Amino acid sequence: MDIRIKEFKKIVTSPIIIGLLVLFIVYNSIFIFQNSYFREELRVLTRLVDRFGYEIDDEMLEKYRLYYEEQLVSLNKITKEKTSKNYNSMAEFFADYKYGLEDIYDREELGLIMELGIMEAYYNTIEEIDEVYSSLDIMERAESEINKFQLIDKAAETVRNQYKAFSERFQQLVNNKEHKNLFFLGKVYRLHSILFKSLFKIIIFEIIILVVLITAYIVNYEFDNKTEAITYTTKRGRDLILDKLYVSIFSSLVVTTIILLATLALYFIIFDYSGLWKVPISSYFNTDHNFPYLSWWKMSFVQFLFFTIGLVYSITLLFNGIIFIIARAIKNTYFAFFVFAIIFGLFLILPRLAPNSSNTIFIGAFTPYFLILNPHVWFMEGGAFATFKYHEIVTLVIWALMIWVLSILSIKRFKRQDI
Amino acid sequence: MLIVTNVSKSYGKLSVLENIDIEFSNGVYGLLAPNGAGKTTLIKMLTTLLFPNEGEILYNGTNIFHMGDGYRDILGYLPQEFGYYKNYSARQFLNYLAALKGLERNLAKVRINELLELVGLANVADKKMKKYSGGMVQRVGIAQAMLNDPKILILDEPTAGLDPKERVRFRNLLAELSRDKIVILSTHIVSDIESIANEIIMIKDKKVLYKDSINSICKTLEGMVYETSIDYAQANRFRNHYFSLSEKQEGDKMKIRFISENKLDDSWESVSPNIEDVFLYVYKDEVIKEG
Repeated sequence: MDIRIKEFKKIVTSPIIIGLLVLFIVYNSIFIFQNSYFREELRVLTRLVDRFGYEIDDEMLEKYRLYYEEQLVSLNKITKEKTSKNYNSMAEFFADYKYGLEDIYDREELGLIMELGIMEAYYNTIEEIDEVYSSLDIMERAESEINKFQLIDKAAETVRNQYKAFSERFQQLVNNKEHKNLFFLGKVYRLHSILFKSLFKIIIFEIIILVVLITAYIVNYEFDNKTEAITYTTKRGRDLILDKLYVSIFSSLVVTTIILLATLALYFIIFDYSGLWKVPISSYFNTDHNFPYLSWWKMSFVQFLFFTIGLVYSITLLFNGIIFIIARAIKNTYFAFFVFAIIFGLFLILPRLAPNSSNTIFIGAFTPYFLILNPHVWFMEGGAFATFKYHEIVTLVIWALMIWVLSILSIKRFKRQDI
Repeated sequence: MLIVTNVSKSYGKLSVLENIDIEFSNGVYGLLAPNGAGKTTLIKMLTTLLFPNEGEILYNGTNIFHMGDGYRDILGYLPQEFGYYKNYSARQFLNYLAALKGLERNLAKVRINELLELVGLANVADKKMKKYSGGMVQRVGIAQAMLNDPKILILDEPTAGLDPKERVRFRNLLAELSRDKIVILSTHIVSDIESIANEIIMIKDKKVLYKDSINSICKTLEGMVYETSIDYAQANRFRNHYFSLSEKQEGDKMKIRFISENKLDDSWESVSPNIEDVFLYVYKDEVIKEG
């Protein structure tokens, strides 16, 4: 235990590691603040959900409509007084005022205008749900993905099969009415992209950089400082490498926790999700672009968040193992870092060289390197290469086994190697 | 007892040591050879850093590589290139190594204080090692080697970086420590071991050339070492005929110590050979190359 504490101290006293950790948290905070200009608008939905709940059904819709009309009447009283005009909708109202609202209405009135505008946007979106989902064709999506990557023969067939399986889930999703739940309007705020595509991807890359540095640093500390002859001839001897592995795992989990906690705490302070945690992630409102996010399993937002966090931890451990094996073989921290970067690049490039007619083209998708590129579609329909029901789990299990075996071999080799 | 049996070591195709047989019992052993002769390779095998390609090394009859931590527990080692952590104080550094050596925390504390006192670093024990002179760092190295009160103490070029006063102090320390230990001291500086080594081991052409007491080794040159004074003008011609061991100025003449199988001149004075003479003679090819 004493040895492991002393090894851990080497990490916490490293100015590069601590400096980078602080820098990353500052960067994430800046990123969150830069994207927070609409945070006030989000509160409108929070209030609506407080009043009506998030599940959309006829009863809720009726209440919503009545409330909206009530508010529109209030607005019309004001507009009548100030401009002698009446409006049937906010769209009509905004068509009249491209600029200059602030010159006519006071702050409180402007608040009502904003709120009503947003209410109407949500209402309109509710109205279009059934139409959108009745025209959604999963197999058409499959064909568009096949065309996008010019897949043919077996590769194309695999994509079709996966999407066929996904079609069943899609039907289930529609029957469950998972899509009919209020959530922040994706097409306007793109919060799913901000959180899961951008922020989580940034977090993952930051964690990987730190994990690579920590692991290479601690594994090669003796070789970098030329103390290997002293340390590896002590009673603990080459078993020290095991202590280093455990300490690197522990430290990687600690930095992962610090970055996740600091970043997500700030994110959820800035963006108020209260009342929306249990909304299914496959809600139609959570559509950032043209196609909704459709999960393989019925999952609430908070479940999706925790699964994503869990996957981040798992990926952290995989990269911890990968860099342990590399750093053990290459007895130099910085060189190990570069080799890791090269391997990273190769794993992203090489799969593209596989023939587009063969299933080998999918092998490249089952790597942690591929996985970290698309955290926003984990556990979801994710395009030609990631729409496998157990894509994440299969990748994790295969790589965990490979890394486990290679780590054991690496440690065994180290114990029989000339130093 | 530590026994090296028929040990060979090569790096790829480059053979460094061949069929080495040595036995060590308590006492000081001087491993004497020029740089590159394989001293460090032998030492690294004795410390389990390198694995022999052939043969085995036994401690009390058991292969040291099978003994594992049981062997390393009785081993103290100061390597030739002694690295340290610049931002650690001597005390922190020794504490870290004490943990690796499995010393209980309180015992380590006492032992570290004793050793810091012994190597004369007690007053600077809490200063960062990056502020230390080369000699001070070397003394930390000696202290760490002795932390676990080893039964086998292996020191590779331990006096490198020490000033003459420190060397004397170190030699005395070693003489005192060696009573119940195997001390193996590798050096290419003859004076380091002349006065304290019970036996000298010389390695030449990948093999053990001598492993004997200083007296016995010196006897191999008995009747072959002479001193005489010659004119400076004759120096070159003289060197071409005889192997010069040392030369010094004496008035307007040069006093030369050299090797000759026979006494060819009455003015030559036969002198007792010392270990340095043997070293220079044995390694004359290497010495010439290095020179």
